[in-house]
Amino acid sequence: MSNISTENSLQKFEKGTSLTRDAIARLFKNKMAMAGLFVLLFMVAISLFTPWIAPYSYEEQNLDLGASAPSAAHWLGTDTLGRDQLTRIMYGSRISLMVGFIATAVALTIGVLWGAIAGYLGGRVDAVMMRIVDALYALPFTIFIILLTVIFGSSMLLLFLAIGAVEWLTMARIVRGQVISIKRQEFVEAAVSMGLSPWRIISRHLIPNVLGPVIVYTTLTIPSVILLESFLSFLGLGIQPPASSWGSLISGGVETMEEYPWLLIFPGLVLTVTLFSLNFLGDGLRDALDPRASKD
Amino acid sequence: MSSEKLLNVQNLRVLFNTRHGQTVAVENLSFSLAAGEVLGIVGESGSGKSVACYALLGLIPMPPGKIESGRALFHGKDLLQMPEAELRHVRGHKIAMIFQDPMTCLNPYMRIADQLIEVLLQHKNISKKDAREKSIAALIEVGIHDAEKRIDEYPHQFSGGMRQRVMIAMALLAEPELLIADEPTTALDVTVQAQILALIKSLQKNRNLAVIFITHDLGVAAQMADHMLVMEKGKLVEQGASEGIFKNPTQEYTKKLLSAVLTTAKPVASAAKLDEPPLLDVKHLQVGYASQAGTFFNRITRFARGVDDVSIKIQRGEIVGLVGESGSGKSTLGRSIIRLVDAQAGEVTFNGKDLLHLAADNLKAARRDVQMIFQDPYASLNPRMTVFDTLAEPLLVHGIATKATVLDQVNELMDDVGLDRRFIRKYPHEFSGGQRQRIAIARAIALKPKLIIADEPVSALDVTIRAQILALLLELTQKHNLTMLFISHDMSVVRYLCDRVVVMQKGKLVEEGETEQLFSAPQQEYTRQLLAAIPKL
Repeated sequence: MSNISTENSLQKFEKGTSLTRDAIARLFKNKMAMAGLFVLLFMVAISLFTPWIAPYSYEEQNLDLGASAPSAAHWLGTDTLGRDQLTRIMYGSRISLMVGFIATAVALTIGVLWGAIAGYLGGRVDAVMMRIVDALYALPFTIFIILLTVIFGSSMLLLFLAIGAVEWLTMARIVRGQVISIKRQEFVEAAVSMGLSPWRIISRHLIPNVLGPVIVYTTLTIPSVILLESFLSFLGLGIQPPASSWGSLISGGVETMEEYPWLLIFPGLVLTVTLFSLNFLGDGLRDALDPRASKD
Repeated sequence: MSSEKLLNVQNLRVLFNTRHGQTVAVENLSFSLAAGEVLGIVGESGSGKSVACYALLGLIPMPPGKIESGRALFHGKDLLQMPEAELRHVRGHKIAMIFQDPMTCLNPYMRIADQLIEVLLQHKNISKKDAREKSIAALIEVGIHDAEKRIDEYPHQFSGGMRQRVMIAMALLAEPELLIADEPTTALDVTVQAQILALIKSLQKNRNLAVIFITHDLGVAAQMADHMLVMEKGKLVEQGASEGIFKNPTQEYTKKLLSAVLTTAKPVASAAKLDEPPLLDVKHLQVGYASQAGTFFNRITRFARGVDDVSIKIQRGEIVGLVGESGSGKSTLGRSIIRLVDAQAGEVTFNGKDLLHLAADNLKAARRDVQMIFQDPYASLNPRMTVFDTLAEPLLVHGIATKATVLDQVNELMDDVGLDRRFIRKYPHEFSGGQRQRIAIARAIALKPKLIIADEPVSALDVTIRAQILALLLELTQKHNLTMLFISHDMSVVRYLCDRVVVMQKGKLVEEGETEQLFSAPQQEYTRQLLAAIPKL
């Protein structure tokens, strides 16, 4: 009957899963999300090319200048040691974005898998897995970090490990709760009765249906991880001056806020813009991945 | 003109503003109701029958809803123009409502006594003590035994039917003149439904109440109403005395609704192969629900019996109906056969294999041969998978289709269940309930299973859709030589579809027999009750 037109329109969707492809198409239509994505890509590009485009070297001091307000030579001013603020923010973005994205990705992967497996299998497996989460929650974070530093010394790898080790806990709890609420739905039972493997049920039927809260929580995790890094650096794990990160610039800026406000305002502004972009992108992704939300 | 009328609705028109523009929910509806009269409003979901009544009481959310025009004279006063404070006085005091779901209408954290007394204190100027006395009297009136004691219990201590009785008692406390009952028995078991209908009828007679009875069930309407309105898509299709409408429907839609009420036996002969060994042989099956107590290392597991020593045989090609009320264990039995629920004891032999003790590898293969259709077409499809993905998944996982052939096979499935091939790219939420159930059926037959377990597959659907889906199931069983275990609480549906019927009550098998034989000569009291509860036209 209408075979010819049908066949043609169906050609397209044989590659890839439909949800991923539909979601990308829908995301591209969302202006706010695309603006957020664009800003983030811009930041990433800057951080990649920093060594070539930064106006000064990150260790170059000018003690005579001291802390100076924004000027033609130093667009965003200088800090108390006379280091160029713009340069430090640019170099800082390398650390902060890397920590933000990698540590969050680690937390996301472990947390989602852990939570989904615990929630789906339930029973004793669930009890053991969640008690591990509780035990890690209860561990005093500061002592944990100091221990790590004492044993392994200070390194970037350890920084990711330390942040990943705390951030996935909440994610696992969120995902477990969601999975438990949907695993009794009939479409999951239908999948079981079709003889699908537990892994396939978790990856194809459960995880796609918990993405909404996961994405929202992820966009909240990235900025908090960026700030957490400055705390870890303060404890001696992570980066040391003259290297910089947004977190360390902000905490440094807070100390001198009354005399030299620009040392707080500019790094704060950059972090805020990143956070907004992430939220727009996150909302866009959540809607794009939910077929019900985007048809109007 | 009609001063003796209690309620007179004229040209009511209700709109909803949606993202897609305006939808007319109720179009120029006019009807009237005298004191002591019972009016039935019949229609399928989306027909505007509930919206019309909610609009009268100012209970629709505005916006997006909008009452565009019309009058609703109650004792000569227009409800639609009434200020909110006065309308609130009318609601509950003069016009009371009871709703479909007695589970969600009572506050689970409040004792029944407090909920009833609250209503009285709100509307009547009486002391707390008198209010309690009155509440107990009301509970006795709606047939709750031991009302003195039970009034201090919480809602969860009451069964569904009992809760609906409490709701009715609550609605009648303020002595209203008009009772609006919105599908009050839809969520209840058939035998309970019969009791509640009888209760409403007798209360209506004793108190000379006017009742508007909203229902999708023509049988129920026939039993209850003096006059009837038939609505379709917001429009009044037909109205008149109930008897006249049932005997001589003049409109096409009414005829369609009437013909969808199944009163006939199975239209085709049984295809059961009686000379072969049974395809499914369930022996002495015991299934319990575990509730756990104790500590992690010393866990005490208690079992509540769901299925108690049940044996069933199903021959190849046979359609067996499994009938019972909620809590009878019929769904648990179906689920334990494909091991969605674990059985504690007994044997399930399917096609010569012992299903209960299969290792994981063999279980996957066995599951291919037994498929399930679920009750709720809204919950049984993954909302994030397109129809194509949903149907392709079992084919690909079991290696029935390759990437190259899967599209053709999915298209064939779509043809089989009567869905347009062009819908294959859509997501479940874009379909109606009936269409979704067709998708679920397509998924179940995709693996060409030897046995299908259908768990109430039509009870969530409108009557006309129900008839279509049943016809489809019958057609598919013939075309693909399917064997089916059809679980239902609805005797009329079972009669239309099944060769043999098994009746369950409280986890035990009560009676079984050839369908027509069981219908004409039921042996057990419980079966007779079930049959008597089918509303007659």
